Parts: sequence; structure tokens; C-alpha cells
Amino acid sequence: MTSIYKSTVTEIGEMVPAFVAEGMLVFFGEGAPDELRDFCIMHEVIHKQDLMMVGDFVAIHDQEFEILAIGEVANENLMNLGHLNLKANGNTEADLPGDVCIAEVALPEITVGIEFGIRRG
Amino acid sequence: MADYKAVLIEKGPGGWGGPLTILPTDEKPLIYCVTGGGIHPIAARIAELTGGEAFDGFKSSAPFEKIAVAVIDCGGTARIGVYPMKKVKTVDIHATSPAGPLAMFITEELMVSGVKADNIKPVE
Repeated sequence: MTSIYKSTVTEIGEMVPAFVAEGMLVFFGEGAPDELRDFCIMHEVIHKQDLMMVGDFVAIHDQEFEILAIGEVANENLMNLGHLNLKANGNTEADLPGDVCIAEVALPEITVGIEFGIRRG
Repeated sequence: MADYKAVLIEKGPGGWGGPLTILPTDEKPLIYCVTGGGIHPIAARIAELTGGEAFDGFKSSAPFEKIAVAVIDCGGTARIGVYPMKKVKTVDIHATSPAGPLAMFITEELMVSGVKADNIKPVE
């Protein structure tokens, strides 16, 4: 398993549970405007070396979720802004250009300090 | 006193919402760009035509009440709703429609999407 993107969660916005309830996690890299912090999981990038592909895995703490679909702007969002809209909806085609879709699973609990990343292999 | 001019912004191909009329004022001068990587050409175009001040939201922050329009490149979930929720008019460069937990705040009076440079026209 190769780590192609690795980051540490630094802050969890108070409206994050509203997104989790709809099967979504919204990540933003440090440096995002303050008004986005309430809605997002903020993280600090440790390294990034490649774009995501379908079949890669989103790694959250000790769990991995296979990527089923990637919207057309999702890689640009992640590379430029550390921004990822993760949707546990089981879609094999992204509804929205920013979506990264995984199976319809219960999303893991996110806490400050855990690792978040993309793995391949 | 800056000399501000209004622009009409219509949705682009596959876009949603609008049209929005944007007229900056001394109280609301900012064309607030939340796209990362500097001022997006769409934000620069709106600033140029209106006389508003292009402002990079990833470099520093500004209060909502100073924003004439927010320019985002949201793929459809988070940023798309944050500014409409605060009643800030929002231009999305991507052709998205309201979705996500914030969808209820997104109205045609507050958002227009899929906007290209030629969807921004001076109001005569």
C-alpha cells in the first residue's frame, strides 16, 4: 500500500455532524477561510504525491474505503485546497463534480489528531 | 468615493440560478474569491467591470457584510451553501445545482452557477 496523500486532522467544525448525517465528510486544508471552518474537517497536509484514481482507498485513522467514483474537479480541489467532499453513497458515477464516492457505509468518527489520506495498492 | 457599476451575471451552460445583478458599494466593495490559487479570472472580470475590489479569501479574511459577491469553484457540497446561508450573493464557476445539508439556503436570487466570462455583462 503506497500513501499518495497524507494529512493530520487539526479541527472539526461544529456543523460536521449535519454532513455526517447525510453520509458526507467535507475536508479542507489549513488556510481555508474562517467561514468554512464550521462546516469542515480541517487538516494539515504531510505529503501529497499523486492524483486520486478509482480503486484507490480513502484512509481515515485505521479504516480504508475503496474509491468508487471521482468527480471531475475533485483532484483539483484536493491538490489546491486540501478540499475533499467524501460521500458514502455507493455511487459509481459522481453526481457532483467535487464528489469522491465510497460504498454506503457508516462513516468513522473523526477526532483531532487522526490521520487522513489516500492510499494505493 | 469609488465609481461602481452594476453587472448582470447569468448562468452558463448547464448552470443553475440567477441572473444576479452585482453592484458593489463603499460598504460592500469586495469581490470575494474563494477558489484557491489567487484571484480567479471570473472574479477579476467582475472586479474590472464593477470597480469592486478583488479579494482572495484564502489569503486573508473579510466580514460577510463587506462582500458584494463571493466567487467559488465549488463542486457542489460545502462552499455552495456557506455564502448563500449568510445571504451573500454567490457565483459558482462550476455548473452545480443546490445539494447537501445547506441546499435549503441556496436560492436563484442568491446563486448562479456555471458562469463563464461572457455570462458577465455590464448593465447599461
